[in-house]
Amino acid sequence: MKFRIYRYDPDKDTAPYMQPFVLNHIRPGMMLRDALLEIKKIDETLSFRHSCGEGVCGSDGMNINGRNGLACITPLKGLREPVEVRPFPGMPVIRDLVVDMSGFYRQYRAVKPYLTRRDPEPEVEVLQSPEERERLDGLYECILCGCCSTACPSYWWNPDKYLGPAALLQAWRFLADSRDQAGEARLDALDGPYRLFRCHTIMSCVEVCPKALNPTRAIGQIKRLMLDKSV
Amino acid sequence: MSLRRASGLRAWVVQRVSAVYLLLFTPLLVGKFLFYPPPDHTAWVQWVSNRWVAIGLLLFFVALLMHAWVGVRDILIDYVHPLGARVLLLTLLAFGLLGCGFWALDIVLHAGAH
Repeated sequence: MKFRIYRYDPDKDTAPYMQPFVLNHIRPGMMLRDALLEIKKIDETLSFRHSCGEGVCGSDGMNINGRNGLACITPLKGLREPVEVRPFPGMPVIRDLVVDMSGFYRQYRAVKPYLTRRDPEPEVEVLQSPEERERLDGLYECILCGCCSTACPSYWWNPDKYLGPAALLQAWRFLADSRDQAGEARLDALDGPYRLFRCHTIMSCVEVCPKALNPTRAIGQIKRLMLDKSV
Repeated sequence: MSLRRASGLRAWVVQRVSAVYLLLFTPLLVGKFLFYPPPDHTAWVQWVSNRWVAIGLLLFFVALLMHAWVGVRDILIDYVHPLGARVLLLTLLAFGLLGCGFWALDIVLHAGAH
Protein backbone atom coordinates (compact mmCIF):
# COMPACT_ATOMS: atom_id res chain seq x y z
CA MET A 1 0.00 0.00 0.00
CA LYS A 2 1.33 3.43 -0.98
CA PHE A 3 1.67 6.39 1.40
CA ARG A 4 2.82 9.97 1.04
CA ILE A 5 3.79 11.47 4.37
CA TYR A 6 4.44 15.12 5.22
CA ARG A 7 7.98 15.53 6.50
CA TYR A 8 9.55 18.58 8.05
CA ASP A 9 12.47 18.82 10.42
CA PRO A 10 13.13 22.50 11.11
CA ASP A 11 16.75 21.72 12.07
CA LYS A 12 17.56 20.15 8.68
CA ASP A 13 14.89 21.05 6.10
CA THR A 14 14.41 24.43 4.49
CA ALA A 15 10.87 23.51 3.44
CA PRO A 16 8.39 20.71 4.11
CA TYR A 17 8.11 17.88 1.57
CA MET A 18 6.02 14.78 0.96
CA GLN A 19 7.91 11.48 1.34
CA PRO A 20 6.60 8.34 -0.36
CA PHE A 21 6.53 5.02 1.49
CA VAL A 22 5.29 1.56 0.46
CA LEU A 23 4.08 -1.13 2.87
CA ASN A 24 3.82 -4.60 1.38
CA HIS A 25 2.21 -6.47 4.22
CA ILE A 26 -1.14 -5.03 5.18
CA ARG A 27 -2.91 -7.09 7.82
CA PRO A 28 -6.72 -7.24 7.83
CA GLY A 29 -8.22 -4.67 10.15
CA MET A 30 -5.03 -2.59 10.20
CA MET A 31 -5.48 1.04 11.17
CA LEU A 32 -3.49 4.01 9.88
CA ARG A 33 -1.64 4.25 13.21
CA ASP A 34 -0.40 0.67 12.76
CA ALA A 35 0.83 1.59 9.28
CA LEU A 36 2.65 4.66 10.63
CA LEU A 37 4.34 2.45 13.25
CA GLU A 38 5.43 0.07 10.44
CA ILE A 39 6.75 3.05 8.46
CA LYS A 40 8.63 4.22 11.55
CA LYS A 41 10.44 0.85 11.47
CA ILE A 42 11.61 1.76 7.94
CA ASP A 43 12.49 5.38 8.84
CA GLU A 44 12.80 5.92 12.56
CA THR A 45 13.05 9.70 12.16
CA LEU A 46 9.29 9.92 11.36
CA SER A 47 7.60 11.75 14.24
CA PHE A 48 3.94 11.58 15.23
CA ARG A 49 2.01 11.59 18.49
CA HIS A 50 0.03 8.54 19.56
CA SER A 51 -0.84 6.79 22.78
CA CYS A 52 -3.92 4.72 23.54
CA GLY A 53 -4.48 3.37 20.04
CA GLU A 54 -8.25 3.18 20.43
CA GLY A 55 -9.65 6.68 19.90
CA VAL A 56 -9.76 7.64 23.56
CA CYS A 57 -6.70 9.80 24.22
CA GLY A 58 -6.97 12.02 21.17
CA SER A 59 -3.22 12.19 20.55
CA ASP A 60 -2.97 11.05 16.94
CA GLY A 61 -5.19 13.57 15.21
CA MET A 62 -3.91 14.34 11.73
CA ASN A 63 -5.04 15.17 8.21
CA ILE A 64 -5.71 11.95 6.28
CA ASN A 65 -6.41 12.30 2.56
CA GLY A 66 -7.55 15.87 3.20
CA ARG A 67 -9.80 15.07 6.15
CA ASN A 68 -8.96 15.44 9.84
CA GLY A 69 -9.24 12.26 11.89
CA LEU A 70 -7.59 9.98 14.43
CA ALA A 71 -5.06 7.63 12.83
CA CYS A 72 -5.76 4.89 15.38
CA ILE A 73 -9.42 4.47 14.41
CA THR A 74 -9.03 5.11 10.67
CA PRO A 75 -9.02 1.73 8.87
CA LEU A 76 -6.54 1.47 5.98
CA LYS A 77 -9.22 -0.37 4.04
CA GLY A 78 -11.15 2.16 2.01
CA LEU A 79 -8.46 4.85 2.01
CA ARG A 80 -7.60 6.21 -1.44
CA GLU A 81 -3.99 5.51 -2.50
CA PRO A 82 -1.47 6.96 -2.10
CA VAL A 83 -2.67 7.79 1.41
CA GLU A 84 -1.68 11.43 2.00
CA VAL A 85 -0.92 12.05 5.66
CA ARG A 86 -0.33 15.62 6.79
CA PRO A 87 -0.33 17.47 10.11
CA PHE A 88 -3.46 19.39 11.17
CA PRO A 89 -4.02 22.28 8.76
CA GLY A 90 -3.41 25.82 10.00
CA MET A 91 -1.30 24.73 12.98
CA PRO A 92 2.40 25.50 13.54
CA VAL A 93 4.40 22.34 12.74
CA ILE A 94 7.00 21.31 15.31
CA ARG A 95 8.19 18.35 13.29
CA ASP A 96 6.60 16.01 10.71
CA LEU A 97 3.05 15.28 11.94
CA VAL A 98 3.56 16.88 15.35
CA VAL A 99 1.91 20.29 15.67
CA ASP A 100 2.03 22.93 18.39
CA MET A 101 -1.32 22.65 20.20
CA SER A 102 -0.63 25.37 22.80
CA GLY A 103 -2.93 27.92 21.08
CA PHE A 104 -5.70 25.32 21.02
CA TYR A 105 -5.27 24.62 24.75
CA ARG A 106 -5.18 28.36 25.51
CA GLN A 107 -8.60 28.73 23.86
CA TYR A 108 -9.84 25.73 25.86
CA ARG A 109 -8.63 27.28 29.15
CA ALA A 110 -10.25 30.60 28.17
CA VAL A 111 -13.77 29.13 28.57
CA LYS A 112 -12.99 28.13 32.19
CA PRO A 113 -13.84 24.47 31.63
CA TYR A 114 -14.71 23.65 35.22
CA LEU A 115 -17.74 24.00 37.51
CA THR A 116 -18.01 27.38 39.21
CA ARG A 117 -20.32 27.79 42.21
CA ARG A 118 -21.17 30.77 44.37
CA ASP A 119 -22.98 28.72 47.01
CA PRO A 120 -20.89 27.12 49.75
CA GLU A 121 -19.63 23.67 48.85
CA PRO A 122 -22.21 21.08 49.97
CA GLU A 123 -21.32 18.19 52.27
CA VAL A 124 -22.32 15.70 49.60
CA GLU A 125 -22.34 15.83 45.82
CA VAL A 126 -24.45 18.46 44.07
CA LEU A 127 -27.35 16.34 42.87
CA GLN A 128 -28.75 16.38 39.35
CA SER A 129 -31.99 14.94 38.02
CA PRO A 130 -31.61 12.38 35.22
CA GLU A 131 -32.94 15.05 32.81
CA GLU A 132 -30.34 17.58 33.94
CA ARG A 133 -27.62 14.98 33.52
CA GLU A 134 -28.93 14.12 30.05
CA ARG A 135 -28.26 17.67 28.86
CA LEU A 136 -24.53 16.96 29.12
CA ASP A 137 -24.69 14.02 26.71
CA GLY A 138 -22.91 14.80 23.47
CA LEU A 139 -20.81 17.43 25.27
CA TYR A 140 -18.72 15.76 27.95
CA GLU A 141 -17.43 13.07 25.57
CA CYS A 142 -15.01 15.46 23.83
CA ILE A 143 -11.41 14.18 23.99
CA LEU A 144 -9.83 17.49 22.84
CA CYS A 145 -8.08 15.86 19.89
CA GLY A 146 -8.34 19.11 17.92
CA CYS A 147 -9.79 17.59 14.72
CA CYS A 148 -12.73 20.02 14.73
CA SER A 149 -11.01 23.32 15.48
CA THR A 150 -8.22 22.68 12.97
CA ALA A 151 -10.79 21.80 10.28
CA CYS A 152 -12.60 25.12 10.84
CA PRO A 153 -11.86 27.90 8.31
CA SER A 154 -12.88 30.54 10.85
CA TYR A 155 -10.31 29.10 13.27
CA TRP A 156 -7.65 29.12 10.51
CA TRP A 157 -8.13 32.86 9.91
CA ASN A 158 -8.40 33.94 13.57
CA PRO A 159 -6.93 31.21 15.79
CA ASP A 160 -5.88 33.75 18.42
CA LYS A 161 -9.27 35.46 18.76
CA TYR A 162 -11.92 32.90 17.76
CA LEU A 163 -12.25 30.20 20.40
CA GLY A 164 -12.96 27.44 17.89
CA PRO A 165 -15.51 24.60 17.97
CA ALA A 166 -13.73 22.45 20.59
CA ALA A 167 -13.54 25.23 23.19
CA LEU A 168 -17.08 26.42 22.40
CA LEU A 169 -18.47 22.89 22.82
CA GLN A 170 -16.96 22.95 26.32
CA ALA A 171 -18.30 26.47 26.93
CA TRP A 172 -21.80 25.11 26.26
CA ARG A 173 -21.08 21.97 28.32
CA PHE A 174 -20.68 24.20 31.42
CA LEU A 175 -23.48 26.61 30.48
CA ALA A 176 -25.78 23.59 30.18
CA ASP A 177 -24.70 22.13 33.52
CA SER A 178 -27.39 22.60 36.20
CA ARG A 179 -24.67 22.69 38.89
CA ASP A 180 -22.77 25.62 37.37
CA GLN A 181 -23.55 29.11 38.70
CA ALA A 182 -21.36 31.29 36.49
CA GLY A 183 -23.65 31.36 33.44
CA GLU A 184 -23.93 35.15 33.17
CA ALA A 185 -20.18 35.66 33.41
CA ARG A 186 -19.62 32.89 30.86
CA LEU A 187 -22.01 34.53 28.39
CA ASP A 188 -20.49 38.00 28.92
CA ALA A 189 -17.07 36.56 28.19
CA LEU A 190 -18.30 35.13 24.87
CA ASP A 191 -19.82 38.31 23.37
CA GLY A 192 -17.99 40.47 20.87
CA PRO A 193 -17.42 39.74 17.20
CA TYR A 194 -14.66 37.16 17.66
CA ARG A 195 -14.79 34.62 20.45
CA LEU A 196 -18.17 33.06 19.60
CA PHE A 197 -19.48 34.96 16.59
CA ARG A 198 -16.78 33.99 14.08
CA CYS A 199 -18.72 30.74 13.70
CA HIS A 200 -20.50 30.89 10.33
CA THR A 201 -22.03 27.40 10.68
CA ILE A 202 -19.68 25.92 8.08
CA MET A 203 -20.03 22.64 10.02
CA SER A 204 -16.65 21.14 9.10
CA CYS A 205 -16.31 20.47 12.85
CA VAL A 206 -19.37 18.22 12.83
CA GLU A 207 -18.18 16.39 9.74
CA VAL A 208 -14.77 15.45 11.14
CA CYS A 209 -15.44 14.85 14.85
CA PRO A 210 -14.21 11.29 15.57
CA LYS A 211 -16.59 11.08 18.53
CA ALA A 212 -19.59 12.15 16.37
CA LEU A 213 -20.22 15.25 18.49
CA ASN A 214 -21.91 18.40 17.19
CA PRO A 215 -20.09 21.64 18.11
CA THR A 216 -22.21 23.65 15.64
CA ARG A 217 -25.39 22.75 17.56
CA ALA A 218 -23.70 23.68 20.85
CA ILE A 219 -22.67 27.06 19.40
CA GLY A 220 -26.25 27.63 18.22
CA GLN A 221 -27.50 26.87 21.72
CA ILE A 222 -25.06 29.38 23.22
CA LYS A 223 -26.35 32.04 20.80
CA ARG A 224 -29.95 31.23 21.67
CA LEU A 225 -29.23 31.39 25.42
CA MET A 226 -27.47 34.72 24.92
CA LEU A 227 -30.52 36.03 23.09
CA ASP A 228 -32.86 34.72 25.82
CA LYS A 229 -30.84 36.53 28.48
CA SER A 230 -30.67 39.84 26.61
CA VAL A 231 -34.23 40.48 25.41
CA MET B 1 -22.31 46.35 24.42
CA SER B 2 -19.02 47.49 25.80
CA LEU B 3 -17.45 50.39 23.92
CA ARG B 4 -14.20 48.54 23.45
CA ARG B 5 -15.73 45.77 21.40
CA ALA B 6 -17.71 45.77 18.20
CA SER B 7 -20.96 43.93 18.63
CA GLY B 8 -21.28 40.19 18.41
CA LEU B 9 -24.78 39.26 19.50
CA ARG B 10 -26.37 42.47 18.16
CA ALA B 11 -24.87 42.04 14.68
CA TRP B 12 -25.97 38.42 14.63
CA VAL B 13 -29.55 39.30 15.62
CA VAL B 14 -29.67 42.05 12.97
CA GLN B 15 -28.49 39.54 10.38
CA ARG B 16 -31.12 36.96 11.37
CA VAL B 17 -34.06 39.37 11.66
CA SER B 18 -33.25 41.12 8.37
CA ALA B 19 -32.89 37.71 6.73
CA VAL B 20 -36.44 36.80 7.75
CA TYR B 21 -37.83 39.99 6.20
CA LEU B 22 -35.79 39.49 3.02
CA LEU B 23 -36.94 35.89 2.83
CA LEU B 24 -40.59 36.93 2.99
CA PHE B 25 -40.46 40.12 0.90
CA THR B 26 -38.05 39.17 -1.90
CA PRO B 27 -40.30 36.43 -3.41
CA LEU B 28 -43.22 38.90 -3.33
CA LEU B 29 -41.12 41.50 -5.16
CA VAL B 30 -39.80 39.01 -7.71
CA GLY B 31 -43.31 37.56 -8.20
CA LYS B 32 -44.76 41.02 -8.73
CA PHE B 33 -42.24 41.92 -11.45
CA LEU B 34 -42.41 38.48 -13.10
CA PHE B 35 -46.18 38.07 -13.23
CA TYR B 36 -47.65 41.59 -12.89
CA PRO B 37 -44.94 43.94 -14.19
CA PRO B 38 -46.04 47.60 -14.40
CA PRO B 39 -46.58 48.26 -18.14
CA ASP B 40 -45.10 51.77 -18.09
CA HIS B 41 -43.46 54.35 -15.87
CA THR B 42 -46.75 55.90 -14.78
CA ALA B 43 -48.01 52.52 -13.62
CA TRP B 44 -44.75 51.95 -11.74
CA VAL B 45 -45.02 55.34 -10.03
CA GLN B 46 -48.60 54.57 -9.10
CA TRP B 47 -47.57 51.23 -7.63
CA VAL B 48 -44.74 52.75 -5.56
CA SER B 49 -47.00 55.61 -4.43
CA ASN B 50 -49.21 53.15 -2.58
CA ARG B 51 -48.39 53.77 1.07
CA TRP B 52 -48.08 50.08 1.95
CA VAL B 53 -45.86 49.33 -1.03
CA ALA B 54 -43.65 52.30 -0.11
CA ILE B 55 -43.37 51.15 3.52
CA GLY B 56 -42.65 47.59 2.42
CA LEU B 57 -39.98 48.78 -0.02
CA LEU B 58 -38.32 51.08 2.49
CA LEU B 59 -38.22 48.30 5.09
CA PHE B 60 -36.82 46.01 2.38
CA PHE B 61 -33.96 48.43 1.67
CA VAL B 62 -33.26 48.92 5.39
CA ALA B 63 -33.16 45.13 5.89
CA LEU B 64 -31.05 44.60 2.75
CA LEU B 65 -28.48 47.23 3.68
CA MET B 66 -28.20 46.10 7.32
CA HIS B 67 -27.88 42.50 6.17
CA ALA B 68 -25.17 43.50 3.70
CA TRP B 69 -23.36 45.50 6.39
CA VAL B 70 -23.17 42.55 8.80
CA GLY B 71 -22.27 40.07 6.05
CA VAL B 72 -19.50 42.12 4.47
CA ARG B 73 -18.25 43.19 7.91
CA ASP B 74 -17.96 39.48 8.77
CA ILE B 75 -15.92 38.83 5.62
CA LEU B 76 -13.62 41.77 6.38
CA ILE B 77 -13.13 40.64 10.01
CA ASP B 78 -12.30 37.14 8.76
CA TYR B 79 -9.86 38.00 6.00
CA VAL B 80 -8.58 41.59 6.29
CA HIS B 81 -6.32 41.71 9.33
CA PRO B 82 -4.23 44.90 8.91
CA LEU B 83 -6.09 47.55 10.89
CA GLY B 84 -5.66 50.40 8.39
CA ALA B 85 -6.94 48.38 5.44
CA ARG B 86 -9.88 47.07 7.46
CA VAL B 87 -10.93 50.52 8.69
CA LEU B 88 -10.62 51.92 5.16
CA LEU B 89 -12.73 49.10 3.64
CA LEU B 90 -15.34 49.32 6.42
CA THR B 91 -15.58 53.08 5.87
CA LEU B 92 -15.97 52.67 2.11
CA LEU B 93 -18.60 50.01 2.72
CA ALA B 94 -20.50 52.20 5.18
CA PHE B 95 -20.53 55.16 2.79
CA GLY B 96 -21.47 52.94 -0.16
CA LEU B 97 -24.36 51.35 1.71
CA LEU B 98 -25.57 54.68 3.12
CA GLY B 99 -25.41 56.15 -0.39
CA CYS B 100 -27.53 53.28 -1.74
CA GLY B 101 -29.94 53.76 1.16
CA PHE B 102 -30.46 57.49 0.60
CA TRP B 103 -30.79 56.92 -3.12
CA ALA B 104 -33.49 54.29 -2.56
CA LEU B 105 -35.21 56.59 -0.05
CA ASP B 106 -35.15 59.44 -2.57
CA ILE B 107 -36.63 57.28 -5.34
CA VAL B 108 -39.42 55.82 -3.21
CA LEU B 109 -40.38 59.11 -1.55
CA HIS B 110 -40.32 61.13 -4.78
CA ALA B 111 -42.38 58.56 -6.59
CA GLY B 112 -44.93 59.07 -3.83
CA ALA B 113 -44.78 62.87 -4.19
CA HIS B 114 -45.78 62.85 -7.87
